[in-house]
Amino acid sequence: MKKPHLPAALRALAMIKPKQRLTAQYLLSLLIAVTLAFLVGAGIMLLCGYDPIVCYTALFKGALGKPRAFGNTLAKTATLCLTGLAMSIAAKAGIFNVGGEGQLYFGGLAAAVVGARLIGAPAWVIIACALLAAVLAGGLYAWVPGVLKVKLKVDEVVTTILLNSAAIYFCSYLANGPLKTAEKGISSGTDSIAASFSPLIRLSNLNGSIFVAGVAALLIWYLMTRSTAGFEMKITGTNPRFAKCGGIRADRLMIWGMVLSGMLCGLVGMTEVFGIHKRFITNLSAGYYFDGMLVAMIMRYQPFGVIVMSFFFAVLTIGGSAMELSAGISSEVILIVQAVIIFFMAAEGGIRQSFSAWAARRRVRREAAL
Amino acid sequence: MAGSPIARFSHVSVRYPNALANDDVTLDILKGEAFALVGENGAGKTTLMNVLYGLVKPTLGKVTIQGQAITSRHDPMRAMAMGVGMVHQHFMLVPGFTVAQNIALGSEPRKNLIFYDMKKINAEVLALGKRFGLPVNPTDTVGELSVGLQQRVEILKALHRGVDILVLDEPTAVLSPAECDDLFQVLRGIVRDKDMTVILITHKLHEVMQFSDRVGVMKQGKLAGIVRTQDTDEKRLAAMMVGREVLFDELRTGAPTDREVLRLEGLKALDDRGLPAVKGVDLTVRAGEIVGVCGVEGNGQTELCECIMGMRPQTGGTVTLSGRDVSRLSPREIRGMGVSFIPSDRLRTGLSAEATVMENMLVGKQKLPEFRKFGVQLRKKHAVDYAKRLSEAFDVRSGGVDLPMKSLSGGNMQKAVIAREFSFDTPVLIINQPTRGVDIGAIEFIHEKILEKRAAGCAILLVSADLDELFRLSDRLVTLYEGRLTGQFANGTIGKQEISYYMTGGRQEADA
Repeated sequence: MKKPHLPAALRALAMIKPKQRLTAQYLLSLLIAVTLAFLVGAGIMLLCGYDPIVCYTALFKGALGKPRAFGNTLAKTATLCLTGLAMSIAAKAGIFNVGGEGQLYFGGLAAAVVGARLIGAPAWVIIACALLAAVLAGGLYAWVPGVLKVKLKVDEVVTTILLNSAAIYFCSYLANGPLKTAEKGISSGTDSIAASFSPLIRLSNLNGSIFVAGVAALLIWYLMTRSTAGFEMKITGTNPRFAKCGGIRADRLMIWGMVLSGMLCGLVGMTEVFGIHKRFITNLSAGYYFDGMLVAMIMRYQPFGVIVMSFFFAVLTIGGSAMELSAGISSEVILIVQAVIIFFMAAEGGIRQSFSAWAARRRVRREAAL
Repeated sequence: MAGSPIARFSHVSVRYPNALANDDVTLDILKGEAFALVGENGAGKTTLMNVLYGLVKPTLGKVTIQGQAITSRHDPMRAMAMGVGMVHQHFMLVPGFTVAQNIALGSEPRKNLIFYDMKKINAEVLALGKRFGLPVNPTDTVGELSVGLQQRVEILKALHRGVDILVLDEPTAVLSPAECDDLFQVLRGIVRDKDMTVILITHKLHEVMQFSDRVGVMKQGKLAGIVRTQDTDEKRLAAMMVGREVLFDELRTGAPTDREVLRLEGLKALDDRGLPAVKGVDLTVRAGEIVGVCGVEGNGQTELCECIMGMRPQTGGTVTLSGRDVSRLSPREIRGMGVSFIPSDRLRTGLSAEATVMENMLVGKQKLPEFRKFGVQLRKKHAVDYAKRLSEAFDVRSGGVDLPMKSLSGGNMQKAVIAREFSFDTPVLIINQPTRGVDIGAIEFIHEKILEKRAAGCAILLVSADLDELFRLSDRLVTLYEGRLTGQFANGTIGKQEISYYMTGGRQEADA
């Protein structure tokens, strides 16, 4: 696993931040936090002897400057957005999915196996079948901890974290053993797939899967914010006991939240296989799900906010590596900026409280003066 | 006995984003008096005392404690140093610590500068309890104590800091009548013998009469008046609080039909710790009848209600609804058969604090065609309109139905729960503690609504810790003691004094 220290830290973050509504005030403080984070980042650059203006210019140019760079940023956005929404929908129903990586690997593997077997079928059939297989595999792998949580009260954070390793190593075994390709030059991977998403911008990672991701994101957004089921999930997520008492099938919704989350992760695995690698490889994900979790938590599991924040994080990530090349500064600085943003978000509640208290005092004073 | 002012509020205002919680309050609390602060829910009593204790900063105005003005950096630590202690409605104790450890928390005595001196603090706490007439066992673990004893620990915690002013926020909400009497006796003793000042926040007027020297009445953030307790009575105080006369007359009883709707036979259930809580209850409720369950809290009332609703598994017996056995059904199915439920603990079971008022009111109706289109989508506009209508009909005062439930005061939350449950128009109502933590004006309103339901032919099972409430509303009274029914009476055939024998199991042995 890439970032073993992350889940615990994220869990802690979730404890600090109660689930709250996304308000204009919150967005404002978010903006302040982002600005402050950039300033702190600039300070660090100065300390290291770099010119922050040059660095930040390189960052934004590297993320948005060329069509190819922009394509990469969009592709990254799609991944972050799907994983972020996966986290959000489970959290909405009151269950915490930390096992997205495992679900992603199983989804990717299922898609690769289906994609490699259906030689000769029309491309769209192959893609549709692989999509179905990936979503089913991811969903099924998430269903297990969901049922364990609801029926046996086993903490889902523990089971999902453990199932991550199980999935990653099991898939790795398959790709190195029974399913290992006979092709030369591939050390650990499955047979290459018979059809794939075509790239949309030459040399970039952007491909047809962005449309699939878009549709999925739209569906999840609709489900979470507009549908009756989303309403029932919110009630379940905020107070499962009340939901049950009020006649909502809370247990079932929790499992569904987990399964939908796993399905989205499976989909991400499939897009990685069909969009980029053209086969299943053993290091399919570089902790994509944990990045998505981060985005989801910062935006308090609000689907629209997750979509917007995903783009911002994609810019930071893609621009960060470009900056490393062109300005000669380490991309770790961007990791610091990201960390600082999270830090300011965690303090956001306190900042806002003192701000509104100050505003209220002023208002009363003004009224008293009249 | 009462002397010079010990705490002075002058022109204190507290503004929250959506409301003015305190509006230009000027009040002197005198040294060595028992002062009661009364008012409806959301009248600003707790806010005002939180200012004194440093939990809330006044937006305007000046507060002085023992002649010393509070600063903008006033907080509970400073408040305690200035001699103010407060016992909150929700206890702030560490459940895993012993009584003594909790009391010493923050001021632990040390041995040789390093070691926690457990012996010394145990002895101190024992002596402290004796001195104030609040005996405790210092080595008990707090989490295992009853609520009444936990409260005692809270009070001792404040006294241990050597406070001169002790504020208690609705201390009797969790106590049985006997415990209440004890508490007030102790508090009066503290005021009389130790020359301390005790401020009691409450909305129960008989407590005011029993306890206080002076009363301050708060209404919508303003101080509506201060009177000497001996110059007033409950009726006049109620009028000051609500702004009109509140008449708690005997309410007419209904005309129950012979149609039996709800039937419990040998019902048994366990409590959360896995011990038997309901030990074989037989009971019937007929259409158009209110059956009141009397009992000291913790004798199986809550478990009984949850069992009927399918929230708690039964370990024996049956529940029959209009002739159908519903013993093994889920809450959803039982609701589908026409039962509504007002649970005793609204924040835990009755609503979602994070969800909006609208969402809370919609629960249970979200699948009706009125609120759902194409079979999947929520009709938000209809739901908002509906919540507004319901809020108006049940006098739920919120800053808007789109605000989270937790922004409402306790009484308004309860009215929202009642509004939702009563709007289902079911033939059966299970009501547990309908007016807990609710002020007088709202109690009157809720009682009227319950009677309307009875007039409409509802079969109602009413559980309450408030005997007055049960006697006022019920057609039939039953007493529950340690999970068993110990008596059944038609209302009017038994007095409150006598029924309390049955509530405490006193007559059980005599009858047997």
